[in-house]
Amino acid sequence: MHPAVYKVGLQYLSGDISGGNARCIAMLQAFQEVVKDYSTPPEKTLNRDMAAKISSCVSFLRECRPLSVSMGNAIRFVKNRIAKLPMTLSESEAKAALKSDIERFINEKIIGADTVIVKHAVTKIRDGDVLLTYGSPTAVEMVLLHAHELGKKFRVLVVDSRPKLQGQLLLRRLIKRGINCAYTHINAISYIMHQVTKVFLGASSVFSNGTVYSRVGTACVAMVATAFRVPVLVCCEAYKFHERVILDYSICSSNELGDPNAISKVHGREDINYFDGLTNNANLKFLNLMYDATPSDYISMIITDYGMVPPTSVPVIVREYQKEHLL
Amino acid sequence: MGAQKKPAAARVRDDSEDLTRQRLQAIVLADSFTTQFRPITLERPKVLLPLVNIPMIDYTLAWLESAGIEEVFVFCCAHSSQVIDYLEKSEWYSRPNPNLLVRTIVSPKSTSVGDALRYIYEQQTETSQIQGDFVLVSGDTVSNMPLAGLIQEHRDRKKKDEKAIMTMVIKKDSRLGIVSDQLFIAVDPLTKQLLHYEEGTARGGDVCLDKSLLDSTVLVCNDMQDCYIDICSPEVLSLFEDNFDYQHLRRHFVNGLLVDDIMGYKIFTHEIQSSFYAARIDNLRSYDMVSKNIIQRWTYPYVPDINFSGNRPLKLGRQGIYRASDAVQSRSTNIGASTVIGYGTKIGNGGKIFNSVIGNGCSIGSNVVIQGSYIWNNVTIEDGCEIRNAIVCDGVKIRAGAVLQPGVVLSFNVVVGRNFVVPAYSKVSLLQQPTTEDSDEELEYADRSGTADLLSGVNNLQLESKASELGPDRTGYIWEVCDSAHDEEWKHSVIPIPMDKLADITRAMDDDDIEDESVVPPSGELKSDTDSINTDANDDYGYFEREVEETFLMAIIKDDVDHVIRLINSRRFAYNMASADCAGAVFYSMMRLAVNTPHNSASELYRNATTIITKWKGVLGLYLKQTDEQIEVIMKFEEMCEESAELGPLFAQIVHFLYDKDVVQEDAILRWGEEKAGADESDKVYLKQCEALIQWLKEASEEEEEEDS
Repeated sequence: MHPAVYKVGLQYLSGDISGGNARCIAMLQAFQEVVKDYSTPPEKTLNRDMAAKISSCVSFLRECRPLSVSMGNAIRFVKNRIAKLPMTLSESEAKAALKSDIERFINEKIIGADTVIVKHAVTKIRDGDVLLTYGSPTAVEMVLLHAHELGKKFRVLVVDSRPKLQGQLLLRRLIKRGINCAYTHINAISYIMHQVTKVFLGASSVFSNGTVYSRVGTACVAMVATAFRVPVLVCCEAYKFHERVILDYSICSSNELGDPNAISKVHGREDINYFDGLTNNANLKFLNLMYDATPSDYISMIITDYGMVPPTSVPVIVREYQKEHLL
Repeated sequence: MGAQKKPAAARVRDDSEDLTRQRLQAIVLADSFTTQFRPITLERPKVLLPLVNIPMIDYTLAWLESAGIEEVFVFCCAHSSQVIDYLEKSEWYSRPNPNLLVRTIVSPKSTSVGDALRYIYEQQTETSQIQGDFVLVSGDTVSNMPLAGLIQEHRDRKKKDEKAIMTMVIKKDSRLGIVSDQLFIAVDPLTKQLLHYEEGTARGGDVCLDKSLLDSTVLVCNDMQDCYIDICSPEVLSLFEDNFDYQHLRRHFVNGLLVDDIMGYKIFTHEIQSSFYAARIDNLRSYDMVSKNIIQRWTYPYVPDINFSGNRPLKLGRQGIYRASDAVQSRSTNIGASTVIGYGTKIGNGGKIFNSVIGNGCSIGSNVVIQGSYIWNNVTIEDGCEIRNAIVCDGVKIRAGAVLQPGVVLSFNVVVGRNFVVPAYSKVSLLQQPTTEDSDEELEYADRSGTADLLSGVNNLQLESKASELGPDRTGYIWEVCDSAHDEEWKHSVIPIPMDKLADITRAMDDDDIEDESVVPPSGELKSDTDSINTDANDDYGYFEREVEETFLMAIIKDDVDHVIRLINSRRFAYNMASADCAGAVFYSMMRLAVNTPHNSASELYRNATTIITKWKGVLGLYLKQTDEQIEVIMKFEEMCEESAELGPLFAQIVHFLYDKDVVQEDAILRWGEEKAGADESDKVYLKQCEALIQWLKEASEEEEEEDS
């Protein structure tokens, strides 16, 4: 196992790296290291052996934390590039080509995509808007900061939920830039939705029937927003799209389960101890879901690097995009 | 919350009755003994000033009641009749079956906390009102912390240790913001005994601890806030009686006890949980912060939408907007977050009001902008006014189109004229600013009739004196900022801290936290004259120069040469400056004064300069004993001329004048000339101006030499 991959895996495990983009970039950079230090063993071809090597890295990372769809796409891209390397290239040439391909993927599909999304999304923010966001989506954060830099006057409501409370980090960064914010937990969503003019959400991935797969709670926010006739805009880079179709919204086969202790205990409140002695009870299960799926009915628009599209147009992007990046 | 507390309090009451048969008593000091709220406090005592439309003392009394206190002594001195009137009419007296008995103690002569407690002690011998341990708070305290447990803790400790006479409440992480006075304390981590107490230490400044403290474990912290809530045993009163020079509760009493090891009295601290609120309003900034905290409901249950002292509760809407049910408001008015609107208030069309508190019975015209301000009761604001970060007291009238710049305080019944712009940080009152430096308390204590006289006299006064300050059809005097602490104004006003100052503070606090280089300071930033000259404020000499200038300007008002010399000398030693620096700074101040005195032409400026130099050359001469120092003055003057276009042409004339008056010797001028001869062409502007003079001096000296030979 390459030390870079090992390090990234441990960072996933401890939660030091979280968020779809950050995880994906960390993984790709680790792969670059792997490629850099790779030398073809005798009697083997580079294409096949390196693909095997990457596969073993991936299975290690999967052990640390289940892979996200975006990472799956990135891995597919890397493997595809390896398979397509012309046999005529020397080893060093092949490695250089592969490294630059990965670099290109990071810059174009992730970082570049975000700037394009910001450019699109900012046009949707008007003076006097009250924007709601849930959790701590990086793309939305960039949109808000950019809109603030442009001098737009708006307020932000940051909605958060236990146990991760990532919204607090977002809130901190927004406040530092002088954006007018309010903070609440998802329990109060129906009260505050009344004053909201637009909802901005992030996504872990988008499936081809328009279902948005995102941090648990997102579906609830989108549903309440739809009930209040508030437009829901999802910011998501196109590399996170997937051709799969999800129909069963309540149970996603690939959903990740978090630490049950995180919801059975309240940090810093020793007086809330109603579960003491019950944790091993056979009749009790703690469900700490990490993700949920939002049906496309509750999504007004998806903002991607290919423009702003309705959720029904996701298959088009998947088709076109997949073709392009598998080239 | 309140419901939970009361049974607890009752239980403790039973316990304590079993043990000691004592009632829980509190002394509320209804006088701050400071001048932070002047000019407002000249007309009304601080404890009756409305805090989010409810007099401050009601917050204190309501809290004491819910905390299980049974008897409160309200100690009044300044404006005592107003306080008593208020209390007699309030619910505290009229309630049929009061849990809380409110009594008043009047002592108009007391000028400090020390006096007040001594007075109570004297009374004590006759009436023995105070039966045991009591809570000592000031009438401007806002809190919701429970006291019963704390008092019990104090009593238990007292029983074990006779010398533990006081428990002081401290709080971490106050919501008052970072500019509140710095406090530095040392505590024994196990017993919580207070070992050292120091107020107002500058951040990063040195603090001296007694060596003996370091023998055992000591917890030293500077992030605590003193809530000024004390549980005291009766000994505290007698200690004040014994030490008649104790005035200030903290500065004298606490530090006195800590230093004095003969009696061995001990003070303990109690840190309250962060879920409870406790704060004292001691200046306008804390007034602002506490108001905001109340609006944000940190002080629950003492919030505007709950009736806790006979106040009429307001309705709470979204985004922290509290509105009286009968407030009339045009639909086109934009009312923003965190705003309170009182009963009977009318608001016209198209205005914009946010982050502000508006009292009862106000009438506000159309297109008025009110931001971050405190408008008290019965204020009239006409169309198109703009009010930012101001405090506007009862009965003020602001005529159409007037603008209040940030930091303004308008005292009672002031009238601001049409389209008049009240400059930032000014304080306007119907009463004239007291010019003599009497003790503050006497001034705050202006009894009712005297006030009335002054008020009626105002109409005459304003016609003859400088009262045209507020534009046509206006009344009131603008107070001058009397302290040399003009730069400190921003600390004690209701304006949000300017971004650049904030950046300075945070930088001082921790160096990691400077990311926001891009922040633009808000328009309401303080710009005093001294700031614009001194760009390099970090420079020690810059500070020194500024202080000397301030001292000098003060001295001119007082017209006392000896005094100014003494002051400047003390500054000089404080900053460790050479006498040449002093001379430079004094001369600099003189020329600044000349430039700042109104003048129309260069010749008038010259005349100003010469009169000032003639008058004050004694001071200057003191530092100009040697040629080097004189050269320094000429160079300083040269620098000034470069900065100020007006002075430039007068350079030679004034140097000549200095020579005539023997302030500068000819040697100095000649040597300066020689030094400058080697300089760049651009530096020689003033040398050329002086060529004639130098030439003349040279000839004169040659002649003298010839004569000598």
